[in-house]
Amino acid sequence: MAKLLEVQGLTKKFGGLVAVNDLSFYVEEGEVLGLMGPNGSGKTTIFNLIMGDYKPDSGKIFFEGKDIGNYPTYQRVKIGIARTYQVPRPLREMPIIEDIRVSTIPDSIIESFRGGGAHLKEIEKIAEDVGLKGRFSMYPHELTMGDLRRVELARALATNPKIILLDEIFAGLTVAEIEEIDKLLRRKMEEGLDFIVVSHDLKALAPLVDRVVVIHFGQFIAEGPFDQIVNDEKVKAAYFG
Amino acid sequence: MIRRLRWWLIAIAVMCVLPLFIPLGVTRLLVMGSYLAIFAMSWDMMSGYTGYVSFGHPFLIGLAGYVTAFLSHQEGFQPPHIILPLYVTIPLGVAAAVGGGMLFFLPSMRVRGPYFALVSLAFMEILHRLVIAIRPEFTGGDRGLPHLPSVVMGAVPNYYLALGLMFAVALGLWFVTRSNVGNILKAIRMDEDVVEASGISTYRFKRFAFLLSAVTAGLGGTFYTHYLASIGPRRAFSVTFLLDIIISAVLGGMGTITGPIFGGYFLTFILEYLRPYLFGQWRLLAYALAALFIVIYRPRGFYGIAQDIVKWFRRKRIGGEVYG
Repeated sequence: MAKLLEVQGLTKKFGGLVAVNDLSFYVEEGEVLGLMGPNGSGKTTIFNLIMGDYKPDSGKIFFEGKDIGNYPTYQRVKIGIARTYQVPRPLREMPIIEDIRVSTIPDSIIESFRGGGAHLKEIEKIAEDVGLKGRFSMYPHELTMGDLRRVELARALATNPKIILLDEIFAGLTVAEIEEIDKLLRRKMEEGLDFIVVSHDLKALAPLVDRVVVIHFGQFIAEGPFDQIVNDEKVKAAYFG
Repeated sequence: MIRRLRWWLIAIAVMCVLPLFIPLGVTRLLVMGSYLAIFAMSWDMMSGYTGYVSFGHPFLIGLAGYVTAFLSHQEGFQPPHIILPLYVTIPLGVAAAVGGGMLFFLPSMRVRGPYFALVSLAFMEILHRLVIAIRPEFTGGDRGLPHLPSVVMGAVPNYYLALGLMFAVALGLWFVTRSNVGNILKAIRMDEDVVEASGISTYRFKRFAFLLSAVTAGLGGTFYTHYLASIGPRRAFSVTFLLDIIISAVLGGMGTITGPIFGGYFLTFILEYLRPYLFGQWRLLAYALAALFIVIYRPRGFYGIAQDIVKWFRRKRIGGEVYG
């Protein structure tokens, strides 16, 4: 199967700290990749590098075979990469339906004036899809953590992506909420959407992912199916010391 | 649309008949209020909507003012130069503000927060010094350029000119802020990274907001200069003028159109009537205290207070929770 997203020899340093060290991995089309690693292992930094929020010190990022190293963030989103944030970042002074709608407004002043962007019905459909029915006109401060994560997901889905980078999408959720999000992700996977999932919740991660890449101190340490990875000695050592 | 515009139409109608009932002194104050409202809207377009707080707005206003003043100045001028009519010099002044904004303010967007504020303040100070020191035979140096031609003569015609300009700018900006572009600008103020991660080039939209802000500053700056019939560096680039603009927008309510308009008129009147009690450094102190109070306790300004009152009445009337 063709590689959808690939990073090669990615390195990022913050002063003396090497956050990501010569890391390479890929996601194939139709695949869900789990990115695992203890706290501070560099998972979110990798997402920031893929999205173009940080510039890598060395290494390359390919999307559908194209080197996207020079693309600004919005361009990466336009070609089909979307993300959610570890700590939800809602647009705090907007009702959530408006927040989601921002992702559909065309990236052009003239088109925006002409009233481009998805129809309200389409936005409501996306919001309903992620389980936000009945809360469209609510503001972020009125929502639970679970709902804020749904808004993150809806905003990412509204950009019409090919792959979504999910950063700790299950954190702070109840068991019931995790189940709902899990169902939703499975449905989206069946519709052909790819994911890279970062999660501490291994139980939630296990049934979702086809393959797992484990990193520690920004370095690749193991790769393989979930069951094999959790029994890997190097992975155990990274998690439990 | 007419329903949404009805408050604007009522305000225009009231302001149009106002000179029939008020003394000339108050009419002149309203002219000053209209110009301050234009400057506050210009500042708010850049700072209130995108979150890039400008401390250098007088740079844009002064640049436009100086260009139109220099090109239309008529007397005792060395070296002699072509004197152009106002219908040419005013557009050139506006173009200068736009050019200055694009050349200096846009590249400064690489820095955010207080750094942008400081860089923009530096632009104002640099232009201030340049006007005084470089070729004073062109700029009039410290003395400035007096005896400039006026667009119209008399308090009442100037009142209608300033009012017309203010409403034209306000309606133009109102339509922008009600559009998708306005939504993006508001979203940028809330979280620029999130908007970028939604597939939107925030730079493109900020550039547009800066352009609108510069056009507004240029329009206000040129007409204001001809209303005063003179321009001088001490007034054009003073910190007090800068604070007048910022406090008008902050008092009225940042990120709105009606807020800066109300703030402009309010500040003009309050300063005039408090003039015997507040002068020199005390005025600056009062400014700082008022700004601190608003930012800490009422960050949405008078506009926010008015909104809260309306919501409270609605809630009382329908006896339930009201969103939006």
